[in-house]
Amino acid sequence: MAKSDDCVHILQGLLVFGNVVIGMCGIALTAECIYVVANSHGLDPLLKVTENSDIYAAAWIGIFVGLALFVLSILGIIAVITASRTLLLVYIILMLITFAFEMASCITAATQQESLAPEFLLKQMLNGYESSDAANNSGNEFTKTWDDLMRQNHCCGVKGPSDWQEYMSAFRATHSDADYPWPRTCCVMNEEQHPISLDGCKLGVPGYYKSNGCYDAISGPVKAYRGVAWFGFAILCWTFCVLLGTMFYWSGIED
Amino acid sequence: MWADGDHRRVPGDKEPQQHSRPGHRGARTMLPLLLLLLPAARGTVVTVGPEPALTKDPQLEGVTTASTFVLDQPRCVFQNYSDAVIWLVVTNDKDAFYNNATPGTPETAFQNFPDKVSAYMTLNVTLPSYPCPRPAGDITVLRVGSETSCAKDMSRPTCNGPLPGPGPYWVKFLALNDSGPVAETSWSMPIMLRTAQPASNISTGSGYRDGMIAITTILSILFAILLAALLAMLVFCGSESCGSSTFSKAESVSVRRYNTHHVYDQPCARL
Repeated sequence: MAKSDDCVHILQGLLVFGNVVIGMCGIALTAECIYVVANSHGLDPLLKVTENSDIYAAAWIGIFVGLALFVLSILGIIAVITASRTLLLVYIILMLITFAFEMASCITAATQQESLAPEFLLKQMLNGYESSDAANNSGNEFTKTWDDLMRQNHCCGVKGPSDWQEYMSAFRATHSDADYPWPRTCCVMNEEQHPISLDGCKLGVPGYYKSNGCYDAISGPVKAYRGVAWFGFAILCWTFCVLLGTMFYWSGIED
Repeated sequence: MWADGDHRRVPGDKEPQQHSRPGHRGARTMLPLLLLLLPAARGTVVTVGPEPALTKDPQLEGVTTASTFVLDQPRCVFQNYSDAVIWLVVTNDKDAFYNNATPGTPETAFQNFPDKVSAYMTLNVTLPSYPCPRPAGDITVLRVGSETSCAKDMSRPTCNGPLPGPGPYWVKFLALNDSGPVAETSWSMPIMLRTAQPASNISTGSGYRDGMIAITTILSILFAILLAALLAMLVFCGSESCGSSTFSKAESVSVRRYNTHHVYDQPCARL
């Protein structure tokens, strides 16, 4: 039956193509998740601040799922070409397990998006950041973490020092606006951790205060993390189609 | 460098001298004229220089905050009045201020502003603090509201304390010497300070939540469909019955029955 032979060949070709795409996307997903995990040192203080460690979970799952997808796609290509029912069944079941894991990673990453949004971080910072006196080293953990973040990345606030001016905050309740338009940590410091010029910092003279916001420093990994969620979603949609096609193919061949 | 408040001096008494002449009989018509002219002649306050303005160069992040603002120093403005003391008048009602007000009194005390008085006077510097022309590269600004230590101290009525509200405020520079006000600038444009909103006004954006719900729903449906398809596949096609009805494998040989041409029951071939 020539016609059904053509059908077989077309379906085989489509499945092989689908598996090739899955394999390549698996490698890409692994690479992206490795990037997120490797660049997490910038995110570290922020994650301590948001007390959020699920972000790493999603990225680590993504690494292994990506590798699994690559390996399974090779298995799938072999199974389709040899048209072996057993191999195809093994492929389908393993793919379903991988699908479930990637689904978990994707949903986790999507859920965490909200806690990485700048508005959320701003609200948290305004409510939680209090005293910043380096002299008596007081202040809670949250404040210390933010101070470390601002010192490491030479930044101030989430979007800039004007965060402290535009919104009321726990800091403003204890520090007068005239003396502390923004926390002292926002001043450019010398080696002894004193502001180079306190007046310059209070006035906001360029060069004596840190004018950029800390969100820019972490926006790279955050964008990559958003990619983990949405790229994973795209891969899963494609995998769904390939799996349906494989199941149809399986049901149509005889051993 | 910026200086706000060097060379402070305690202001001396400044009683305005009232000169008045007893009326001459023949000059009765002259008297009203003289009386009209006398105040102008005695206390001619010259309007000088550019009016005070918020600092534009360099761009300062803190040019206005919630309780302070930054003005350019009055350089090269009061050059002709080297013996005068320069005061800054801050008011929330510019029509209610009169130049004969005396600094350092409760009527112009910072601590009484804005509840009891509508203007206060501060600064109290002499001309040598503001040499003209200003050195290039120096930042010459005046931060109004920078002294927090004396904000509640009634013994410092000329305190440059933080402003109590968002404004609007008008300011002008006034030069006073022993005989009273001698020069002033015009009133500045109204200055509004920043107000802080409550942090609860920040909207955290529902876009993220919508995305998460969409992803979760769609993925769950896809996974359910796959599981159902797998189940159907195994249940209905577990046996070999599915295979032969759709299509065959590439290398399977299909046997066709055909009638052979030879017929083996020919008795003649044996003979």
